[in-house]
Amino acid sequence: MACMAIIMTGSMAAIEPKSIASREFKNLSVLPKNISAGELSKIMIDEFEDGLGVSCSFCHAENKETHRPDYASDQKPEKEIARAMMRMTIGVNKKYFNLRRPLIGEPSLAVTCETCHHGVPNPGQQVGQ
Amino acid sequence: MATENTIITNDNDDGIDRAGFIKCMAWAGTGILWMMNGGVLKSYGMSQLIDKTTGQLKQHVMVPPADFSFVQISDSHIGFNKAANTDVLGTLRAAISKINTMPSKPSFVLHTGDLTHLAQAEEFDLLEQSLKSVQTEKIFYVPGEHDVLNNNSKEFLGRYGKETKGDGWYSFDFKGVHFIGLVNVLNTSEGGLGFLGNEQLSWLQKDLEPLSASTPVVVFAHIPLWAVYPQWGWATRDSEQALSLLKRFGSVTVLNGHIHQTMQKTEGNITFHTAASTAFPQPAPGAAPAPGPMKVPAERLRAVLGLTNIEYREHQHTLAVTDAPLSESNTQ
Repeated sequence: MACMAIIMTGSMAAIEPKSIASREFKNLSVLPKNISAGELSKIMIDEFEDGLGVSCSFCHAENKETHRPDYASDQKPEKEIARAMMRMTIGVNKKYFNLRRPLIGEPSLAVTCETCHHGVPNPGQQVGQ
Repeated sequence: MATENTIITNDNDDGIDRAGFIKCMAWAGTGILWMMNGGVLKSYGMSQLIDKTTGQLKQHVMVPPADFSFVQISDSHIGFNKAANTDVLGTLRAAISKINTMPSKPSFVLHTGDLTHLAQAEEFDLLEQSLKSVQTEKIFYVPGEHDVLNNNSKEFLGRYGKETKGDGWYSFDFKGVHFIGLVNVLNTSEGGLGFLGNEQLSWLQKDLEPLSASTPVVVFAHIPLWAVYPQWGWATRDSEQALSLLKRFGSVTVLNGHIHQTMQKTEGNITFHTAASTAFPQPAPGAAPAPGPMKVPAERLRAVLGLTNIEYREHQHTLAVTDAPLSESNTQ
């Protein structure tokens, strides 16, 4: 399973890429626009795919012509929810754990997607539900 | 009580039950013989070849080519470092060691995707360095969705796509068997299902056209071409179109990875097989709320990882597929 290029994050200068972006990703509103491909991939896989047990198409709409994920599209509401969740996660780490510049995907975070999701799309979801 | 000589189930759906099998055995020589004739490999039923009066092979019959075997490895996820396996390079090396100690050297190795975890150049480099020690002639690859995360598979295709078509699909022949590597991870559709697409399906149709129905065909791709568990994306949306093109062949073996566990199913002439990962296991379909890396006790990890050995014998109409764990230990 795997996912790719997404989304997000709004107010943040919070995430600082360690390397130069290998390409420009479109419609990033939470994650920094110059995030590197490697960093973006790591967030998509570790935070979302493994953290929620989903694949790319959970948030990303499909381009009906090419049948490929349209990473820039905001068509699916799940994508906006993901953005809101990232903002919330950053806020929780800042407000309650006194992290100065919490970065999504960084091991220093006290609270991550996984903290509540435990590998499922909806926290609290059990087998067979 | 069943013994190891008892046929419990007939998974091949080939009309041969235990009684039928014994009858065939009595008729020594039953099977398909592969012969090279004018540069073309053809198969013949033994009844066409045996001289009924002498019980010997008819004149001018050539000895069939030697048997061969190949190995499938999958989902090595180089770069993964979470609790489910913090040493994926170590377990890949264990798989390589297993290959190198096999009684007969495999003619080649198929890697059915997710070579890397994040498609980073350094992850591909590490994989390549490790696989250099595999004692085989060649390694063939198809990408997993983790290998195409960046730039739509540019890194993968730059390394392994030089002699491929379209987005990386290709075919080759080996000792009379036609091998087809398909790419079903670039257009992963709703629900994470694999997708082949019309361009690849058209190519497949043309690729198969010149083959006689008796040609054994091996198809390999990352995401299963049969509906293992579509709820988790463990299927390919348009695989039916590909499988319909394969129906006329007498022996088709479909090899996949992606689900990190072995599973086999036979439908008519087609045998589907998914391989274990060399990196980490995933839950059985429906056994967890969602798929993903599954942590097992450290002492059990190598028992749920592994590789697959496939042997081709001319006188059998299916390929013999054997899964081998990296470790026989299965203690909890």
